[in-house]
Amino acid sequence: MIIAFGFFPVLLFLFCLFMLDSFKLVSVRVLALCVAWGIVSAFLAFLLNTGLDRLFYFDFETLTRYVAPVTEEVVKVAFLLLVVARRHAGFMIDAAIYGFAIGTGFALAENTWYYMQLGADFHVVLAIVRGFGTAIMHGGTVAVCAIILLEGMQRSGNIVITGVVGLFVAILLHSVFNHFIFDPLLQAILIVVFLPVAFWLVFMYATKHLQQWLEVEFSNEVDMLSMIRAGKLKETKAGRYLATLKEHFSSENLVDMYCYFSLYLELSIKAKRNILLKESGFPAIIESDISDKLAEMKLLRRQIGKAGEIALLPLVRMSHRELWELNQLG
Amino acid sequence: MNLTQEKLNDHLLLQVVGRLDTTQSDSFEKQIMEILDQGHEKIILDCKGLNYISSSGLRIFLIMQKKMMGAGGQFKICGLQPSIKEIFDMSGFTMIFSIYQDVDEALKA
Repeated sequence: MIIAFGFFPVLLFLFCLFMLDSFKLVSVRVLALCVAWGIVSAFLAFLLNTGLDRLFYFDFETLTRYVAPVTEEVVKVAFLLLVVARRHAGFMIDAAIYGFAIGTGFALAENTWYYMQLGADFHVVLAIVRGFGTAIMHGGTVAVCAIILLEGMQRSGNIVITGVVGLFVAILLHSVFNHFIFDPLLQAILIVVFLPVAFWLVFMYATKHLQQWLEVEFSNEVDMLSMIRAGKLKETKAGRYLATLKEHFSSENLVDMYCYFSLYLELSIKAKRNILLKESGFPAIIESDISDKLAEMKLLRRQIGKAGEIALLPLVRMSHRELWELNQLG
Repeated sequence: MNLTQEKLNDHLLLQVVGRLDTTQSDSFEKQIMEILDQGHEKIILDCKGLNYISSSGLRIFLIMQKKMMGAGGQFKICGLQPSIKEIFDMSGFTMIFSIYQDVDEALKA
C-alpha cells in the first residue's frame, strides 16, 4: 500500500500530461519506449554512480548533490535526444510528455529499489516525499530539457547545442532539488503545487502556437498548391522567385526543384490534415500512394542537392518541425 | 460570418455566409455547439455563401461530423464553392465528409 505513494503521483501526472495533448501528437508506442528506457536508465545510473563512487570515494553529499544529477540526467536525456533526432517529437507538448515519461520510468525503478532496500523502513512520509517530490522531479527535469530542446531546435536546428543547454538545465534543477534547501516534505508540496501550473501554462502556450502554425501554414500551402495546379505559379511571388533561379541551376535541376516544392506542399497539407483529424478524434488517413511520394521526395531532395535545398529555403523551410510533420505520414 | 438555420423536411438546414477563419471560428463554434446540443438527427450545412475557410473552420466541420456520427445522425455538406472544394480535395477531407452539389441533392441522399 505504501509503495503506491511512490508510484501513483508520477503516473497520474504523466496521465494528466497525456490528456492535455489535445492534438494527440504523442504516440503510445514511443511513450511506452520512453518509460521502458527510464527504467533501464535507472539501472545504468545506479551502475555508473556505484562505479564512480568506488573510484573516487565521494562523500554522500557530493554524490547526491553533484555526481548523481549529472549521471542520471545524462542517461535519461540520451534517449530523449534519440526520440527528437528520429523526429518522433515535433512540438514542446509531445517532447515534454516523452521527457516526463522517461523520468517516470526512472522514478518507478528507483522507488521500487528504495522499497526493496528499506523494507519496513520505507514509511509513509518517505513514500510521499519520494512519490510526490523526487519522482515528479525526475520527470520534470527531462520534460524541461525536452521543452528547451524543441524550442532551440526550431530556432537554430542544432540538436547538439540545444541538447547541451537542455541537459545543463536538467542537471542544475536536479542538483538544486538534491540540496534540499527546504524541508523535503515542503519541497514535495512545492513541486506538487507549482509544477502542474507551470506545465499547464507551457502546454497552453504550445497549443496556441500549434494552432497558429496550422492556421497560417495550411492556408498558405493550399493557396500555393492550387496556383501550381492551375498553372498560375508564375503569377505568384514564389513563381517569380523560382524564375530567378534559372541563371544558377540547370533545367533538369529546376524541374526537380519545382517537383520537390509541389510534392512538399501536397504532403505537408496531408500531414496537417492528419493533425486536424487526430485532434477531432478521427484516425489519420494514410493514402496508398503516400509512401511512394515520400520516397520520391527523398530522391528529389538528393537530386537537387544542398545548393538546391538552400536556394529553395525561402519556399520550403525544412526545419525540424517540417521534417517531423512529414515523418507523421510515413 | 453569418449563420442562419431553418427546418427543411426532417433536416435542419444551416447556411453559412462569409469567411471562416481564426477570428470568426470561436463565435461559429459556439453557435454550432448550441445547435448540436439541440439533438438534431440530420443536418445539412449549405456553404454556398462561404468564400474562405481556414484550418480553424475545418476543425469545426470535423467536430460537427464527429458529434453527429457519435449520435448516429447525418451531417451533409453542400454548395461548396470551387475554391473551397479544392481545399477539401487537396487535403483529402472529401473522404471524411458527405459532400453534395446543392441542398436538393443533399436532401435526396
